[in-house]
Amino acid sequence: MSLPEEGIPLVMVTYQDIYQWVVKQRDGWGSDACQKHSAVARISPADLKKLELKDGARVELRSQSGCVVVGIKSDRACEEGMGYMPASLYSNRLAGYDPSASRLPNLRRIEVRAVPTQKDITPLSDLLVRKTVA
Amino acid sequence: MTAQSLVCTGCGCLCDDIQAEIEGGRLGRIENVCARGAAYLYSSVNPERRASSLVRGRRASLEEAIEEAARLLSKAKNRLIFGLDNSTLQAQAVAIELARKLGAVIDDASSFSYGTLIQSILGADLPTCSLSEVKDNADLLVYWGSNPTHTHPRHLSKFTYYAYTEYDPAGWLPTNVTLSCVEVRDTELSFMCRPAFKIKPGGDQHFIRAVLDEGQDGTGESQTFVELIKKSRFCAIFCGPGLVYSLDDDFSSFEQMVHKFGEGTRMAVVPMVAEANLRGFDQSLYKQTGYVNRVSFAAGVSHGSEFSFLEQVRNRLPECVLIIGSDPFSDLPQSLMTNLEDVNVICLDHFSTPTTNAADLVIPTALPGLECGGSMLRMDGEEVALVGPKKGEYPTEEEVLQQLAERI
Repeated sequence: MSLPEEGIPLVMVTYQDIYQWVVKQRDGWGSDACQKHSAVARISPADLKKLELKDGARVELRSQSGCVVVGIKSDRACEEGMGYMPASLYSNRLAGYDPSASRLPNLRRIEVRAVPTQKDITPLSDLLVRKTVA
Repeated sequence: MTAQSLVCTGCGCLCDDIQAEIEGGRLGRIENVCARGAAYLYSSVNPERRASSLVRGRRASLEEAIEEAARLLSKAKNRLIFGLDNSTLQAQAVAIELARKLGAVIDDASSFSYGTLIQSILGADLPTCSLSEVKDNADLLVYWGSNPTHTHPRHLSKFTYYAYTEYDPAGWLPTNVTLSCVEVRDTELSFMCRPAFKIKPGGDQHFIRAVLDEGQDGTGESQTFVELIKKSRFCAIFCGPGLVYSLDDDFSSFEQMVHKFGEGTRMAVVPMVAEANLRGFDQSLYKQTGYVNRVSFAAGVSHGSEFSFLEQVRNRLPECVLIIGSDPFSDLPQSLMTNLEDVNVICLDHFSTPTTNAADLVIPTALPGLECGGSMLRMDGEEVALVGPKKGEYPTEEEVLQQLAERI
């Protein structure tokens, strides 16, 4: 599956975030607090400008594996073309595993396209794997 | 309430100086714990956060859940046992025995994180040291692809930089030690490091090659790194997931670099393991089979990438998966985990997680360190004894696994 042409290309780098970890552990993985700390991507002011968005707006991140809607934050520490987001169900919806390309899943560095959207943040419940076994 | 000593099993540091007020089922004030450990320990007394005994979404007795788990494991042809990185050494031993008895595949999260690094350390291909050796002895601390302020909040204060005895006259910074890091972004740690080496995401291999060429790439950064190591007596490198993923599990150039500088400087590598006892699982399996993960007991002992959790799931091989104290439905790509949609999944866990949510069968277990004893291996391989001062209503993983083994 190839990436769509809309929006701008970004490489999302994931990281462990203690604030997200604490609310996930304390309030639960499905809590609003956990969603708030997980559904966020930090990008450079230049990329934010390219997207014609303001700090706090929403973008749809689309990868070869899936898409999510997250909040966007401007971060001067980010280089143009790069984005950072906490490792979570959101980043793992975008991540994939292709052993012909790499030995490990691409959990840490994910190629996406960011597209401005008016859609709501993807609920955590939509990111759960449903089981169908009888 | 009186304070009791316990070991926090919230991460691979296994902090053994925790004091907690415990009375009956209540947990009062906890001292010496970090934010991560506090959230971990306090959530153990929140019933909404604990896992419940479930059979296909329906509340069930523990007895019923164990019986059904034994039935599912017995009838399946291909079984996969995964996890155990937060289990005690004792529970891990029973699980390895169970895998042997079932002829199952057994693997843990190290197969997509620190496994290769730990195998190199256990095989003496890479030098290592204990964290107690680091304090006051190592004069260069390098955190590589790791930000302990978020993952292991007490690492610097309990074991490394801030644990040193001698400080400058102002009392701010320890003397005779340099704190450094190799990172792709600015972090709380990189601001403390003098110097911090900022590289491009995925640029670790390039940086290592430049270091091996003694900084001949002209960036200046690698040259500074070379000089830093050459002038140190004892350099401890703490390897994080950033390094592991950037190298795509190929540590050959990293090993080459460590050996090259080992001629003039004592070099030691410590994996910044996030899980409480991943090191223990890898070491236990290594002792029994010669491999730290990805083992099949179907015909004797076999090892290979085809026995990794990733490959087993990608190729839809297992008919029944037993997941113990791990959360792959949260931590791995969802596009991969959907392959388990029509596979029986049994999950043993202390807490409610996306994996217990997806599992067909959930068996709740006691929290090691707080609700049960045993022992674990810290990230540096040192064994830490657990007390378990707060007796709870949950069985230990070891007990559940023993019961499963008896019924199969």
